[in-house]
Amino acid sequence: MPEWLLEFPENISMNIKTPIDNAINYMLQNWNPFFDGISKGLRTVLSGVGGVINLIPWWLLLIFVFFATLKMSGKILRALFYTALLFFIGVIGLWELMNQTLTIVVTSVLISLLIGLPIGILISSSKKANAVIRPILDTMQTMPSFVYLIPAVMLLGLGNVPAVIATTIYAVPPVIRLTSHGIQQVDAEVVEAARAFGATKAQALFKVQIPQAMPTIMTGVNQTIMMAISMVVTCSMIGATGLGSEVIKGINRLESGRGFAAGIAIVIVAIIIDRLTQGLFRKEEAAR
Amino acid sequence: MKKRLLAVILCAASLALLGACAKETEKVAFGDAGWDSMKFHNAVAMFIAEHAYGLETEEVSGSTAVTYGALKTGDIQVYMETWTDTIATYKQDVQSGAVTELGVNYDDNVQGLYVPRYVIEGDAERGIEALAPDLKTVEDLKKYRDVFADPDDPSMGRIYGAISGWAIDEVMRQKYQFYGLDEFYHYMDPGSDAALSAAIAGAYEKGEPIVAYYWEPAWITGQYDLVLLEDAPYEEDLYLLGQCECPSISLTVCVNPDFYKANTAFCDFLSRYQTSSALTSEALAYMKNNDASYLAAAKWFLSEHDALLDTWLPADKAALVRKALV
Repeated sequence: MPEWLLEFPENISMNIKTPIDNAINYMLQNWNPFFDGISKGLRTVLSGVGGVINLIPWWLLLIFVFFATLKMSGKILRALFYTALLFFIGVIGLWELMNQTLTIVVTSVLISLLIGLPIGILISSSKKANAVIRPILDTMQTMPSFVYLIPAVMLLGLGNVPAVIATTIYAVPPVIRLTSHGIQQVDAEVVEAARAFGATKAQALFKVQIPQAMPTIMTGVNQTIMMAISMVVTCSMIGATGLGSEVIKGINRLESGRGFAAGIAIVIVAIIIDRLTQGLFRKEEAAR
Repeated sequence: MKKRLLAVILCAASLALLGACAKETEKVAFGDAGWDSMKFHNAVAMFIAEHAYGLETEEVSGSTAVTYGALKTGDIQVYMETWTDTIATYKQDVQSGAVTELGVNYDDNVQGLYVPRYVIEGDAERGIEALAPDLKTVEDLKKYRDVFADPDDPSMGRIYGAISGWAIDEVMRQKYQFYGLDEFYHYMDPGSDAALSAAIAGAYEKGEPIVAYYWEPAWITGQYDLVLLEDAPYEEDLYLLGQCECPSISLTVCVNPDFYKANTAFCDFLSRYQTSSALTSEALAYMKNNDASYLAAAKWFLSEHDALLDTWLPADKAALVRKALV
């Protein structure tokens, strides 16, 4: 067999590395004020969210989790169990770090919802917009995070700010996807009926379609939260504080125990948030 | 439908079997913990292994912890640049025979706190003013916390520290307290060496002040004009307390003990493998300036420093390498 059949021909080649490098260097040298602005804005949000989270005393959070689970499930044992799990994080000395992690997660989720819900609603009505946005969402979810984390660090510096951006990039797709999907799933006849009764397009959207799509939208929100939590460790590789950095320290020092302790704490946080949000949606569904 | 599925599975299975049969002799795995000087030394040793000893080689990448662990279990056989001080268990491992130390690759490296030269001297060409003209020693940092302000808390400065988990991190933290810098600065854990490099490169390209832990030889310290802040002269007792400059660390060549027993001739070469910080920097600079691959740099390096071959290798093997270089 000729060689060009066995191996990709060498003379067909193209250099995309240098243009990308040049673009990043250009941004570094010329867009500094813009990135400084983003950085300052995010820092303000972060310190606001962090302030609120740190204001909540530990016992109040425990009580909240207890009553919230009790209300969701109606089972005292389950409520006690989740509260005990959360208490356990404090027992292994990771409460402070959990708060730092929650700060990043909550900030990222808030930003994701702020961006994701409107975009999801906007693209739900147009097949074309959907076709354009889908590959973008796929890219955001599959592009290895470190590829954009390193330029993000060069542009924004180390720490929680690039961490929030990276988390948002990774966590926003589900809420966009499921919001748009949920609204599209709503029966066309229901919408038609609403319109026949004289509802404007906007009224039909906000009073009929979105409420009908709520369970699907909420599943999207839940997934967004879960994905934000799953980015915690990756973000610590660029200096984000919290449980993730504890995991990294454990790994770097070959201290498996330390890594597992923080890892378990992350799992507990994820489980509690997941069950609480899911319970919330089920409640909502049942109420209707 | 089921039949088709079965056919596909059978095809895949037979292909896999074929692949397994075709699997050739085992390759020698060189550990790549991620930084460029190590990759360069790998390229040199791999070139010699292939052309003088007829060994097939491959490079396995991962973090320091993962690759070093693999060296102990035998998934990686050769480790060309072991930063003995950054691996907590290194001494015990050598003593207990979990890894075999063959020799010192080089031990004239530098590490410590660096600032870009323009912070001290300014850079008229780029329009940067000298923000800290009297900054010379680590202790001088006290005067300049405003220059290195922490964006998260502008009332304090920020020192980009060493990577947590490296032994040097403890030393840097001690130093930070010893000089009373904790009153003026936050010590930031960069999380990974890639992030630390990116932070320095980003600040340098923007012309912003930064003070960070780093080491030489490395491409960052080669490419950017960074100044090492002075410290008290090295004394063994004071070093771990962070009260003096860092000594050079011996970077050793290590192999897996089983590999050592099976390949004495090749390991004999590895035990003689010795370079220096200057030689390594020279090769890394060549790579950066010529956009060369590690292999190309290794070939260039071996032809440029031909005499090294005679000290590393027996005459017949050296001749084989020279033949391959032409």
